[in-house]
Amino acid sequence: MKKLTMIIITLSSMLVSYAQRTLTGTVTDAQDGSPLPGVSVSLNGSKGGVITNPAGRYSIQVTGNAVLLFSIVGYNDITVNSGSGSTLDISMQIIRKNLQEVVVTGYNTQTRRQSTASITRISGDDVKSQPIGSFEQMLQGKSPGILIQSQSGQPGSAATVTIRGKGSVLGSTDPLYILDGVQITASDFQSINPSDIETYNILKDATGTAQYGSRGANGVIVITTKRGANQKTKINYDVQYGWAELPKNKLELMTSAEKINYELNYDRPDGTNPFGWTPEEADSLSKVNANLKDALFRRSTTAQHQLSLSGGNDKTRFFVSGSLFNQQGLVITTGLRRATGRVNIDHTIGNFKIGINTYVGSSTFTNTNENDQFIGSPLNAIRWANPYVTPYLPDGSYNELDLLLQGQPNALKELIENPGKNKQLKLVGALSVDYKFPGIKGLSARTNIGVDYTENENQQYFDRTTYQGSQQTGGQGSFGQNTTKNNRYTVTTSVSYARQIRANRFNISLFNEVVKRKFNGFGYTGFGLVGPFKNGAGITPGTSSNGFIPVVTSTETENAILSYFAIADYSYKNRYILSGTVRRDGSSRLADDNKWTTFGAIGASWVVSSEKFLSNSKLISDLKLKVSYGSSANQGVGDDYEAKEQFGPVSYNGVGGLILTNLKKGDLTWEVRRTFNAGVDFGLLKNRITGSVEFYNSNTIGLYLNRQISGTNGANTILTNLGKLQNRGVEVALNFTVLQTKNLTWDIGGNFTYNRNRILQLDGTNENVNGLSINRVGESANSVYVVRYAGVDPATGEALYYTKDGKTTTQYDPNDKVIVGKYDPPYFGGFNTSVNLKGIEASFLFTYSFGNKIYNGDRVNVENPVYYVSNLSKDLLTEWQHPGDVTNIPSPFNDFQPNTTRFVEDGKYVRLRNVTLSYTIPAGTFGSKISAVRFFVQGQNLITWSSFKGYDPEIASGVLQGAQYPALKAITVGLNLGL
Amino acid sequence: MKKSIKIYPAAILISFLALASCKKTIDIEPTHTANGDVIFDKISDYESALTGAYARLLSVNYYGSSNGSSAFSVLSDMMTDNLFESSESLGNYQNFSHWVYTADDTNIDATWLAAYRVIQQCNLTLRNIDKLASTDQGAVNRIKAQALALRAYVHFDILRYWGEGTLRNSILRGIPYVSSFDIEQKPARLTVKESYDAIINDLQLAKSLMQDMDKPIQSTTSTASTARAYIDEIVVNAVLARIYNYAAVPDSAIKYSSLVIAARPLASRANFPLIWQDANTSEVIWSVKFTPLNSGVGDNVYYAVGNRASYRPTTNLTALYDQANDVRYSSYFQLRARGSGSRLVVSKYLAKQAQLGKPDGITDFKVFRTGEMYLIRAEAYAANGLEGPALADLNTLRAARINGFVPGTETGAALINAISNERRKELVCEGQRWFDLKRSDRIVDRISNCNVFCSLDASAREWVWPLPQSEILANANIEQTAGY
Repeated sequence: MKKLTMIIITLSSMLVSYAQRTLTGTVTDAQDGSPLPGVSVSLNGSKGGVITNPAGRYSIQVTGNAVLLFSIVGYNDITVNSGSGSTLDISMQIIRKNLQEVVVTGYNTQTRRQSTASITRISGDDVKSQPIGSFEQMLQGKSPGILIQSQSGQPGSAATVTIRGKGSVLGSTDPLYILDGVQITASDFQSINPSDIETYNILKDATGTAQYGSRGANGVIVITTKRGANQKTKINYDVQYGWAELPKNKLELMTSAEKINYELNYDRPDGTNPFGWTPEEADSLSKVNANLKDALFRRSTTAQHQLSLSGGNDKTRFFVSGSLFNQQGLVITTGLRRATGRVNIDHTIGNFKIGINTYVGSSTFTNTNENDQFIGSPLNAIRWANPYVTPYLPDGSYNELDLLLQGQPNALKELIENPGKNKQLKLVGALSVDYKFPGIKGLSARTNIGVDYTENENQQYFDRTTYQGSQQTGGQGSFGQNTTKNNRYTVTTSVSYARQIRANRFNISLFNEVVKRKFNGFGYTGFGLVGPFKNGAGITPGTSSNGFIPVVTSTETENAILSYFAIADYSYKNRYILSGTVRRDGSSRLADDNKWTTFGAIGASWVVSSEKFLSNSKLISDLKLKVSYGSSANQGVGDDYEAKEQFGPVSYNGVGGLILTNLKKGDLTWEVRRTFNAGVDFGLLKNRITGSVEFYNSNTIGLYLNRQISGTNGANTILTNLGKLQNRGVEVALNFTVLQTKNLTWDIGGNFTYNRNRILQLDGTNENVNGLSINRVGESANSVYVVRYAGVDPATGEALYYTKDGKTTTQYDPNDKVIVGKYDPPYFGGFNTSVNLKGIEASFLFTYSFGNKIYNGDRVNVENPVYYVSNLSKDLLTEWQHPGDVTNIPSPFNDFQPNTTRFVEDGKYVRLRNVTLSYTIPAGTFGSKISAVRFFVQGQNLITWSSFKGYDPEIASGVLQGAQYPALKAITVGLNLGL
Repeated sequence: MKKSIKIYPAAILISFLALASCKKTIDIEPTHTANGDVIFDKISDYESALTGAYARLLSVNYYGSSNGSSAFSVLSDMMTDNLFESSESLGNYQNFSHWVYTADDTNIDATWLAAYRVIQQCNLTLRNIDKLASTDQGAVNRIKAQALALRAYVHFDILRYWGEGTLRNSILRGIPYVSSFDIEQKPARLTVKESYDAIINDLQLAKSLMQDMDKPIQSTTSTASTARAYIDEIVVNAVLARIYNYAAVPDSAIKYSSLVIAARPLASRANFPLIWQDANTSEVIWSVKFTPLNSGVGDNVYYAVGNRASYRPTTNLTALYDQANDVRYSSYFQLRARGSGSRLVVSKYLAKQAQLGKPDGITDFKVFRTGEMYLIRAEAYAANGLEGPALADLNTLRAARINGFVPGTETGAALINAISNERRKELVCEGQRWFDLKRSDRIVDRISNCNVFCSLDASAREWVWPLPQSEILANANIEQTAGY
């Protein structure tokens, strides 16, 4: 054998000496067209070869039609015939998910192979170009187990994010967000620049969440930002413009002619023609098309620019970025402007590694009221204003007719004359020092000091001529300004020891952490804005007689967590892996006897594909089984002093006093979520098919509920740890590279989650009713609880209801309420496909959820015949009028009952969340200076399939109050440029 | 150099571990609220708690109005023939004006809670106060007396809506009487008689404590805007007069109303309109003080700021007045412009004097006035068969209100009817009408301005409110009102 090999080598070297030529080319990343340095290029079967330079260029000597192998870690190898030319450009595909992927828990970083946790990793670059102000919305449909509901399309508004079902009924269900080791507040995301983000790591099971102890129960989203690499300085510029508009409205209202007809000809308890129109007036009003919607809304624009530089050498690496984002709101006067800057530096000196992250985000945004039933909200006005009342009079002044007819102010006037604005300054900084102890191999220490600082300032002016202005104290408008500051620092210090002894590898880290948050707020509202100034200068000083006494508010609260914890991993042959965490948290928020709680988790995994019996398998390339169990808790309930009996300030007859504001809760403790997780990660056919299937069961014990107490105590509920809640589910994720050739790639992928939420125990009682929802043992938390509507009796026009035992009755009785569904969707997910042909890529992302119900309060307000002075639903044209009328709308003489299934709708939907068409110009087209050029057009929320009667079925709470600001339909065009 | 670098990390580590380990990190006391376990060691804290108890009366579900039940100010008139719902109404109180409330009504729940919340604050004021008695008996008595009287008064208000009977010795279901702060207690309903016993007991105890105080309850330097804000002995007598009248105990009603009439004479016709502008406190016995930061007392009837007259006076009511000469008519009602026309609205709570130009609906709620005391005494005299003194009281009041009044000469049923009509005219929107009907013939008959829901007969369950569903669920010892 040896001999033979020698002969071949000799032969080939002889051939080489025959007709050798130089082949050159550029290797690029197929996804973004950026050059790939460090790619090994070799003649197939031979050792040696060349490496691409920082610009991705290579040059190799070949003979004839040679077979070339291109390879680099993290990308699929490419074997290709050289042909006879002198240039050959190659684009390489990143290897889709496999066990080499790096996942980050915040306290440690591992490859997926080594981790026993259930973690989804999403690349920031995959989602960053969606035209959305708040980054968490971009993750919708991207990962199993995480439900993201963007209730609002308001620029910069945050979505509701739920990981593996709501584990709490009263407490927060928001996950914990960690940005480069620093806890950040979910409500400030409009000031974070999504383009800075390298990865999102979603920690779902106890292996990950127990590391966060009393904060981890709702899952953790660990975000890392981009950092420089040891390479030539890269400059990237991204620009994007777009337009957005309201989605289709499915709640149809009466036109002018229909409304006038309804007023004049429908028999009502108050008689007909409530406004006493003369026939001439009625006739002319019927022809008016007021179109308030067009006056209040616009096609809004979005523009964003982002510039970044990254690079470094072997000692110092840097990433610097700046961005501008400007998104108009759909409602005139609203919008978000944001400017951000980031500097990340890593520096190594000797045994030290120092990391500095600094981020500044500044945003200015103007919102409008939403999800309320306030008559001053423009989004309600488009429903309630009479269709024959134009926003302006012919002379250009505001038309106040609706204020007179029905007390509905002119929404346009309220909006334009009452400007408000919010400013937010966000600073996130972290300094880390890593130290490797010389002399003791594997021993290191680390300190990370992080600060999350948010300053909000909002200003609101109410003009005295407006409805809202006239309602201010003193009736002459107001100006208010509020400033809040939220300052949280996190100091984490750890000592780690990692060693490998033959096939045994272990790693243990001991941590100490303090997280301290201080919040303070100051605000004032002054009255009597009668002069020329529309700001603080216009406030009339208050006297005892003029009524313009200003309101001044001030708050300050503080909380802290002190923790000690240990995280350990052990693996044998890199195949059998064990991990464990123990964390003890002390919290300032609990009563003295209850301050300390211990959490923990253990996990194990087995990389089956590394076993001999699979190592030669053609089918299975990766296979890993994992299991974990552990606990973590939820802090998001009550205020910072919830356990203490608190008295707040009040005044009577000019004298200050105290009133009880919070009941003492000496036994209060955290609600603890214990999660079991079992799963399999797999890769088939050289990872052309990858995926995972996981099963989880999480029980929340000590569930926070409002224990009902006798109202004769002056309170009828008290927050108590009294229940038990279960979330059990299955998650499936699958990716399939259908085609992968040099010029054409086609990927499809999808994920699906089923989460079953069930109350296991309530303290002593079997159920706990809260308005339209109920918590009952054996059912989903927050189940829809209403009386079943049985239509209308054609003979009398009376509404019919079902009693509890299914008989029809005309008598509405709250005791006949039954559970008719759940507000939280049990089934949800997303699927996507992308096709790339010679740099032209089309990708589609769909999201869906089903199995839930929505209570449509928007309809209640336009189907209640009492509001006949406002505009009404078109459906009321079919209102029962005469015996024999067969309709679903009862007689206006019948008592209107809103809490019935009449207003409960199916919440299922499928949405084309994002579609992107892009073209990446081959590297080198514009010379070596420009390394990547990509154009794209994308559509956001272009199509939604749903039967919900409103703008949008995505309603996080399941109850739409009114004034819906839906997720917008948007189209943007953009350019990415790499230098 | 190398050595010093080695020391740094250790120093950094140790310093942060030391900083973090400090257990004080997690001992944090509130600064903008007060911890009940820390305060209450001096008289001033109890004074503050008592002020808090008075402030609880400003709740929108007690004497306040906007977006709340306004249960003890104007709701009682909205439920009767004094007012009718106009087309300007947003319909939020139809359950009440149509008498179709059920146990899950949010306003009933809110009223129950708002009332017991005043009691809660009274009980917190009384909690452990006796430990300071040895050092400051007079101050302790002054604070205790008010807390006891306020607690008793609010229980009486609760009894008026939820008591199944009105008579002093009725053994029908009354209400739970709560005399300590303990969130785990689940009190049962007393009988009506037992409820009265507890109420009167607290009032008498308050009166006796008022005999030995460190200083007077009412401020000695008060102006019209701050006078008569607190419960002193005159107020306690007025409470007793109202209770005994409601409970049909004429002798006691006469006794206590006479004490009040002697202390606070009727206002002159010149001063009468100023009472409603809070510019004069003649004949005002107890006035709960509202500021622009609270809601208007009458907002649910006439919302001055938005010029929305949700409920308007019935012509049946306004026809009772001598509109030209009765100072009450012009003080209580006004034509207010709307669009090109105008309509008659209840303007009793339009605004304080300085704000009348741009009314904000903010006025004090006059809980007791001498006018009511005359009517109580007249009614009690008549009930005792003393028609002469009854007519005399009635005529005194009418002469005080009506310019050029010719003394009436009613007797028998006509006298009783005249007293009842006078109550209706005198006390419109002062939280009386529903209860006056409830304790007499239990009939509402809207004979004018009405298309639907125009009458409620004596047998209707709605004369007694249902207990809130939440109370039934939480309190195993309590029984729902009959009929619900």
